[in-house]
Amino acid sequence: MNRRTYLKSALILGSLGMASLSVFKWIDITKPVDPALLWSKKDIIGELAELIIPETDTPGAKSAGVPDYIINVLLNCMDIKKQNKFCTGVKDLEAYSINNYGKKFLDCSATERLEVFDYFAQHAGFSYRILNRINNKFFGEPFYLTLRDLTIEGYCMSEKGATQGLAYDYIPVNYNACIPLQPNQKSWATK
Amino acid sequence: MYISGNIKELNTYDAIVIGSGISGGWAAMELCKKGLKTLLLERGRDVEHIKDYPTANLNPWDFKYGLNNTLKDREIDPVQSNSYDPSTKHFYVSDADHPYIQEQPFNWLRGYQVGGRSLVWGRQCYRMSDLDFSANLKEDIAVDWPIRYQDIAPWYSYVESYIGVSGQKENLTQLPDGEFLPPMELNCIEKHLADSLKKNEYNRLLTIGRVANLTRGWDHRGPCQNRNLCHRGCPFGGYFSSNSSTIPAAVATGNLTLRPFSIVTEVLFDPENQKAKGVRVIDALSNEVYEFYSKVLFINASTIATAGLLLNSVSPRFPNGFGNDSNQVGHNLMDHHSSAGAYGLHDQFKELYYKGRRPCGFLIPRYRNLKDGEELDFKRGYNIQGHGERQEWLDRSHNLNGFGKDFKAQLTSPGDWTIWMAGWGECLPYYENRVALDDLKKDKWGQPLLKIDFSFKENENKMMVDIQNTSAEMLENAGFKGVEVFNYKKPGGTTVHEMGTARMGHDPKTSVLNKFNQVHAARNVFITDGSCMTSSSCQNPSLTYMALTARACDFASRQLRNGGL
Ligand SMILES: Cc1cc2nc3c(=O)[nH]c(=O)nc-3n(C[C@H](O)[C@H](O)[C@H](O)COP(=O)(O)OP(=O)(O)OC[C@H]3O[C@@H](n4cnc5c(N)ncnc54)[C@H](O)[C@@H]3O)c2cc1C
Ligand code: SF4
Repeated sequence: MNRRTYLKSALILGSLGMASLSVFKWIDITKPVDPALLWSKKDIIGELAELIIPETDTPGAKSAGVPDYIINVLLNCMDIKKQNKFCTGVKDLEAYSINNYGKKFLDCSATERLEVFDYFAQHAGFSYRILNRINNKFFGEPFYLTLRDLTIEGYCMSEKGATQGLAYDYIPVNYNACIPLQPNQKSWATK
Repeated sequence: MYISGNIKELNTYDAIVIGSGISGGWAAMELCKKGLKTLLLERGRDVEHIKDYPTANLNPWDFKYGLNNTLKDREIDPVQSNSYDPSTKHFYVSDADHPYIQEQPFNWLRGYQVGGRSLVWGRQCYRMSDLDFSANLKEDIAVDWPIRYQDIAPWYSYVESYIGVSGQKENLTQLPDGEFLPPMELNCIEKHLADSLKKNEYNRLLTIGRVANLTRGWDHRGPCQNRNLCHRGCPFGGYFSSNSSTIPAAVATGNLTLRPFSIVTEVLFDPENQKAKGVRVIDALSNEVYEFYSKVLFINASTIATAGLLLNSVSPRFPNGFGNDSNQVGHNLMDHHSSAGAYGLHDQFKELYYKGRRPCGFLIPRYRNLKDGEELDFKRGYNIQGHGERQEWLDRSHNLNGFGKDFKAQLTSPGDWTIWMAGWGECLPYYENRVALDDLKKDKWGQPLLKIDFSFKENENKMMVDIQNTSAEMLENAGFKGVEVFNYKKPGGTTVHEMGTARMGHDPKTSVLNKFNQVHAARNVFITDGSCMTSSSCQNPSLTYMALTARACDFASRQLRNGGL
């Protein structure tokens, strides 16, 4: 069971990391977020969500109402650490775009936006997701992951996302246990 | 409170039933059908079938925060919010209003309303067998059950035929067959695992879950529309709940008086004829105190609440609580564990899919310690419950990297086939796992808070390791990839099968109830919720509560007619 051994060592690494946790960082991420601040970022959040789930032959995140969903859920359902991580993340992204491209993210070209966003995606550390989970417990989930998960959730549960992006079956009536997969079959919106 | 003759008459019934959940609904229906004027007391609000299912027809996008509980929900309901989401919250109590004391972590999940937890249960219905009924005797653990399978088998049939259980006959001694409606169907990955089990000759078998969901119309209800939104209440009456089934049937007899918002605080004992004479009730809204009287009393408040009620009913005859000569009331609390299992992916069958949302999974019936002399390091056994499906967006969001067009295309198409499965394991009856009353702390009606002291012990923990090993083994042998074992280590109560605090037994010195669920020391009081269980088996228990209830009601009404009560 290699995987379990791996998990175990990941756990040990994670707790070693904890020892160097700075008190300042802790205080910073535990004070509540100002809702007005978050709402003022709706445009940029919308653009970021659209980068994750763009409009194609089916609606994208923006037209499915994902930005509102993200902000509502963050403010009402997510713990303070996650909220703070998210806000800091948006600020970092804005700063990164100014430092590297000399302009605001929303003023960047499509390619530039992609580059900026990709930088954050790369640095969310997917390949170390297990390690991240442990870190996340103490520092809050990285902004990119929160954004991504909420975008997916908000999209797949929205009316446009569920009925056009996915396949929605309001009252299935029957359960057909084994049927051939159709060409371009969308997966079901609900389980 | 002083009760004048006239009011006393008005407040007198043939029978009183406390609690309108799964077992209380049955008691009320059976007693009413036997012609007894019955008062059904329920501490929560009324919930009328269909009318009071506000979320049943909502779409995912009708929930502002999706299915996320708010920070406030989690703060106010730290326990219940583990089980509810915005679509079911209204069928759970508020922890803030109904606190209890956890001497060790224990999730006491409750629904205080007409219908109790029958509105949100998982509907799995399994018979217990003589392997279960004789285990305590064989192993000299706790006390012997005063009944055997043949005592209850006809009552299982009676209940199944009424509620409607879909399932497949399998001819197993450890899991007797029942009266089934047509089974639901296994999907291709589940069939694949079933075939692999057959080939591997472990003497293990995979069958479809046996659930109280109607695969065809039944008793003016159903059929099930395969929406899998049962926990919100079913507008089609597609599954059994007290609200859709037993309570309307009780009402139809004309013999039922239903009184919601009635918190029963005490059973009243009449020392002259050594019987209960009635109950004391606090009106949950007005705080007024009432007394109600009857010839027979059925206590169905659910295991932990029933234990609390008995302990709170003290009198000179019962200084330690009603019917508690044995000092067993509140002890031997059990709950199944369901934290350990395994998960895996399969890279075949990519061209197959399914349509509809089947409201149940599969079952691998108990395969451990079926015969004497198996060399395992734990006693008793577990069954495996699980389900197979293709990864959908929620699963994929944790496995897919990247963003953009390709990502979207993958996210919205069916992923690999997966199986998740976990063991539902038997928990032994330990005297020290218990419910007691706190001496000082009171709830907002002035009633003592309950303290719950419960933990799983060595036998359960060893069993969980075995569950992980055999689950992973079955998946690996069936060609699953990336098999991972897990143990969520959830505290007691999480499986919501609490039982055992007023156990049945032959001997009044060591048990609270006799073989007909009568309190040994007060023959007109019957307790037929989970508190009566002498051992826990590994089967989901509610079918057994219903069968025991129907049986006890039959006995009680015959005794009443013969003047035996
Ligand atoms: C999410 C979930 C899934 C489950 N899945 C399954 C399953 O698949 N199979 C299975 O067998 N079981 C399952 N269960 C367990 C099942 O719900 C319980 O075993 C069953 O409901 C117990 O029935 P009961 O009559 O004892 O209590 P309940 O159904 O809980 O009803 C008790 C009633 O008594 C009332 N009451 C309590 N105290 C008082 C008082 N002092 N005065 C008046 N009224 C009172 C309550 O308000 C409540 O209405 C599940 C439970 C949950 C929560
Ligand atoms: S799955 Fe069946 S029983 Fe459950 S809510 Fe849907 S129709 Fe009703």
